[in-house]
Amino acid sequence: MLSRLALRSVQEARPFLVAVRPTSTTAVNKATERDEVNFPRRARPVEPGKVRMGFLPEEWFQFFYSKTGVTGPYMFGVGLTTFLCSKEIYVMEHEFYTGLSIFVMAVYAIKKLGPGIANYLDKEIEDIEGSWVKYRQESVEGLKQAIEDEKKAQWEAEGQKILFDAKRENVALQLEAAYRERLATVHSEVKKRLDYQLETANVKTRIEQKHMVNWIVNNVKASITPAQEAAALKQCFADLKGLAPQSA
Amino acid sequence: MALGEYPAEYNPKVHGPYDPARFYGKPDTPFGQVKLGELGSWLGRRSVGGIPSAISRAWWRWQHKYVQPKKTGIAPFLQLMVGSMAFFYMLNYGKMVHHRNYKHH
Repeated sequence: MLSRLALRSVQEARPFLVAVRPTSTTAVNKATERDEVNFPRRARPVEPGKVRMGFLPEEWFQFFYSKTGVTGPYMFGVGLTTFLCSKEIYVMEHEFYTGLSIFVMAVYAIKKLGPGIANYLDKEIEDIEGSWVKYRQESVEGLKQAIEDEKKAQWEAEGQKILFDAKRENVALQLEAAYRERLATVHSEVKKRLDYQLETANVKTRIEQKHMVNWIVNNVKASITPAQEAAALKQCFADLKGLAPQSA
Repeated sequence: MALGEYPAEYNPKVHGPYDPARFYGKPDTPFGQVKLGELGSWLGRRSVGGIPSAISRAWWRWQHKYVQPKKTGIAPFLQLMVGSMAFFYMLNYGKMVHHRNYKHH
């Protein structure tokens, strides 16, 4: 029975497959050659054929209905059983009475327990089929969710690109800062060396000047003879005398 | 036709998945619509070797109708019981005759 159910679910899925993959090469899915009129697709029925009194098919009663009406098949049954029993083609021996007792008990059991067992089994079938359907639906849902998550991950990866640009800009700024810092270092170092050279040149000039001045003064002082010194002193006294009276 | 093989006329491209309850040969008038005069020719068209497959198809048709539906009841079980009771009664009829209660009917 389970194999029929599997066949039926495959049969149900097949039209969907035909719609989705029209270029499929499976022989059975080709819709062009399939004779749908004479050999329609079979589906598993939900309810069984109708029976009366537990085992007599409804079609037998319908067969009699047009000719003999509603009571026809019952009369036929009564007549047949009467004939069989009276001619003793159906012998009512001791086994028959055993069977009759069992029949009565069986009818009572079926009438009493039948609907309860039927409902319980129907519920079991619903649970099992529901679990299959739920599994299929949940895996479809799970896959759809996985697709959504994948799309979100792709979107996030795109966001990473912007992050890369920002990081690249950051690095460029850092490089620029380092470059400028080194430029300033170079500038200061060069200035220090140049200042040093300047200072040494200044010092040298100053020392030369001082030395020259000292040397000249000393030489001049040395060249002054005592006669010249006396003459100079005399001149100075004369100038002072000349100035003094004018002021007084 | 060998045992366990598909019928020769079955073509999956045309007929779809194999259904054991269907007859895949050339369609003929159903037995209920055969006129009395054509009965002889109708029987001539049938072959003896097709009897097992006819029984198999009838069995599968009964199964599709009463056993395979999702919500079957006690009907197929009772039908099998009554059928086997009748069949075995017929087989044992020779013995049953001796258990008659009356001599003249």
